[in-house]
Amino acid sequence: MTALLEVRDVVKHYGGIAAVNGATLDVEQGSITGLIGPNGGGKTTLFNVVSGFHHAEEGTVTFAGARIERHSPDRVARLGLVRTFQQTKALTRMTVLDNMALAAPRQPGESLVRLATGPRRARAHERAVEERARELLELVHLGRHADDYAGTLSGGQRKLLEFARALMLEPQMVMLDEPMAGVNPTLGHQLLDHVESLRSSSGTTFLLIEHDLEVVMSVSDFVHVMSAGAVIASGPPREVRSNEDVIDAYLGKHGTRE
Amino acid sequence: MTQLLSLDFWSLVGVVAGIYAIFSLGLQLQFGYSGLLNFGHVASMAVGAYVMAILVVKASFPLWAASLAAIGAGLLFGAALSLPTLRLRADYFAIVTIAISEIVRFFALNEQSLTGGPLGTSNLEGPTQVTEYNRSWVAFQSTVQGWLHGLIGSHASSDFTMLVIVWVVVLGCLLLLTPITRSPWGRVLRGIREDEDAVAALGKPVARYKLQSLALGAGLGAVAGLLYAFQFQFFSPDDFDPLITFYAWLIVLVAGAGRMWAVPIGALIFALIFSGTRFFNFKPFTYLDAAQLAYLRYMVIGAILIALMAWRPQGLFGKREELVLE
Amino acid sequence: MTELLQLIVNGLVTGSIYALGAASISLVYGALRIVNFAQGDYVTFGAYAALLVNLHWRGGMVSATLFAVAATAALAVALEFVLWRPMRRRGAKTMGLFITSIGLAFIMRASILFIGGNGERSFRVDVFQSYAVGGIRVSEPQLIAICVSLAAILAVALVLSKTSFGRAVRAISDSPDLASVAGVDVDRTVVAVWILAGMLAGLCGVLAGLVQSSFDPNLGFTLLLPLFAAVVVGGVGSPYGALIGGLSLGIVQEVCTWSGFFGGVNPVWKPAIAFSVLIAVLLVRPQGLLGRARTL
Repeated sequence: MTALLEVRDVVKHYGGIAAVNGATLDVEQGSITGLIGPNGGGKTTLFNVVSGFHHAEEGTVTFAGARIERHSPDRVARLGLVRTFQQTKALTRMTVLDNMALAAPRQPGESLVRLATGPRRARAHERAVEERARELLELVHLGRHADDYAGTLSGGQRKLLEFARALMLEPQMVMLDEPMAGVNPTLGHQLLDHVESLRSSSGTTFLLIEHDLEVVMSVSDFVHVMSAGAVIASGPPREVRSNEDVIDAYLGKHGTRE
Repeated sequence: MTQLLSLDFWSLVGVVAGIYAIFSLGLQLQFGYSGLLNFGHVASMAVGAYVMAILVVKASFPLWAASLAAIGAGLLFGAALSLPTLRLRADYFAIVTIAISEIVRFFALNEQSLTGGPLGTSNLEGPTQVTEYNRSWVAFQSTVQGWLHGLIGSHASSDFTMLVIVWVVVLGCLLLLTPITRSPWGRVLRGIREDEDAVAALGKPVARYKLQSLALGAGLGAVAGLLYAFQFQFFSPDDFDPLITFYAWLIVLVAGAGRMWAVPIGALIFALIFSGTRFFNFKPFTYLDAAQLAYLRYMVIGAILIALMAWRPQGLFGKREELVLE
Repeated sequence: MTELLQLIVNGLVTGSIYALGAASISLVYGALRIVNFAQGDYVTFGAYAALLVNLHWRGGMVSATLFAVAATAALAVALEFVLWRPMRRRGAKTMGLFITSIGLAFIMRASILFIGGNGERSFRVDVFQSYAVGGIRVSEPQLIAICVSLAAILAVALVLSKTSFGRAVRAISDSPDLASVAGVDVDRTVVAVWILAGMLAGLCGVLAGLVQSSFDPNLGFTLLLPLFAAVVVGGVGSPYGALIGGLSLGIVQEVCTWSGFFGGVNPVWKPAIAFSVLIAVLLVRPQGLLGRARTL
């Protein structure tokens, strides 16, 4: 069975260094897969390559059977592969509700032509979008902040907003870049609960970069370990945890870039 | 002192304010809503005015057709402007827009056979011919003046008529722009203004929105160019100096980036400063000659820009929370 | 062939002046992240300061130049204390500072116009010698411009790479916060950057005024766009980049009019050439010739 996401031998240089140096991994449909490894190992760069923000010099990326390594970021997102960012990109100068509504796909109101030819349809769609947005906001307990500017939210709340916003796209797969970083443990665990329940209810696939090893080990079905730009180990959490190469990598013997 | 109360004088001020309002509305769309640093906006004004005049004088187009073509040319120009923005960072894009607007002005200055060169539209049919592109407009204006005369009597001078026409256009632009900027389309622009990568990551084709914003903004600039051409009945490349773009920036910043209806107010304030200082014929201003008064005016404008950035970067009507002046 | 060589020499002259101004702008932008739209008027100020010495106080060009360089540096420092620092303390960032610089440009140019009027001025220099080498003529001012510019830029480049001050400047260009944590006196380094940039701008103004037969208060502003073009083409933050950008722009501008080049571009288009080169370079390499690629 082919995996939902297949990354093969991706190479990407950054400022003269090979940030990603022959990375290969699979993400199975409906799984919660973790991506761990020491700092500077290339995890975020790999996310950037997969999501279209960087173009790999070598290698291929296949999502749902389609080759996406040359796609622009918006095209990748429209295919159903959505990502969040390490430094949250909540749009602070807009309200929480606007952040959510912005994310809704295929809105007639976003096209000047369709606005002009069918204003009533656009308005009806906008109402439906707003409803869905409020639903999702309730899910992450941000409902009462709907009309606040996103800039007034705390760091953890912004991460939840970014997460809920990603869900507006009804994605097949969500890539979370350090969803727990800088978030208080309660909110963080809420987010993980949502991840698990979404996987159970809608079969959404998740790939998460995370430094909190306990978190990753407890929530993931499968884990990849990246160090010095390559995937050095892959397997269920228990196996990976006791893998010697992995331990070496974390303790610095593998010669990671810092 | 009688001039202070002259309706014609204030009509003229109002006309200029209205033209600048339309011009600045275009910039408001490009910068206030989409965050694009267009410092070459005056080029769209030039494109509008020149395309119309050239089509009327050299290709014998009827005025209404030439005007529509001019607006179309403005739209195309704005769309073309979006090509560099796709790959350039904000500050480089700003410099490129100035470069492009200067190239346009240079073209107007040097391609004498097409544009009349430094002597402008008076030269369009060659040095021995006096050209006029305005005939149909003058006729139209007279008709409108006739209606107004019926409404308000003898106050309806031609200057006043122009005032009414221009501000009807301003109103029309606002009626068009307000709903579309409040729509989901406008929302995407506001997202792009703050963080285009975030918006791309949400599946929106950012380049397309930038193109539409630049095109529409330039179209509005072309409309302003047309009205300018009609009002002054003659123009030359000097009328499309980079300084004009900076005036629009001043107006947009005073109004507050992202507030459509505040732009006409900003334009009126700007026009008042410019013409109001004409009445400073009391000491110590009497020691200055006309040129020096003009330079003083520029100092005032510079000081206002700095004061705005220091104390009210969101402008008179903007919201601090929505400030994206990074 | 001589025509071409003559054009190249002319281009070197224009290019050296571009390089000086570009180095000044690049220094300010690289170290302080300010796109200073008023930098052209710093250049004009230098020219007029030299004019003051040369015409009114009857000084020679050397003393005029020294005075201009010092005066522009002093102006730059004064503006840092009166304008830039307070604006930064108020939280103004890149865009806010850019608009501030536009306001400053208005004020500076209007002031020079107010005091000096808008007439053309020339330096009171004796009819200088010109040298001819195999059919190529170069006047003494032109030769001086090339030599002085090159020397000045090399000096600045050496200072930036070899001294502890230079290291401090590079530290604050990367990150002012990290630099101050590492012990760099950020405020003092910033003042020193302005001194250096002011000196370069003043020198640029004097040489520009010398090389043109006459100039008016728009001198610096007319130069500003080609200067920006040179900075962008050569890459921000490096004096060598400014040198390469300035020289190449100057040479391309002149060589374009060569008759062997499809009959030659009409000389009236020369200023537009700089802009066209800028656009062309950026279309191919959006980060400039020596710049670094966009990061996420």
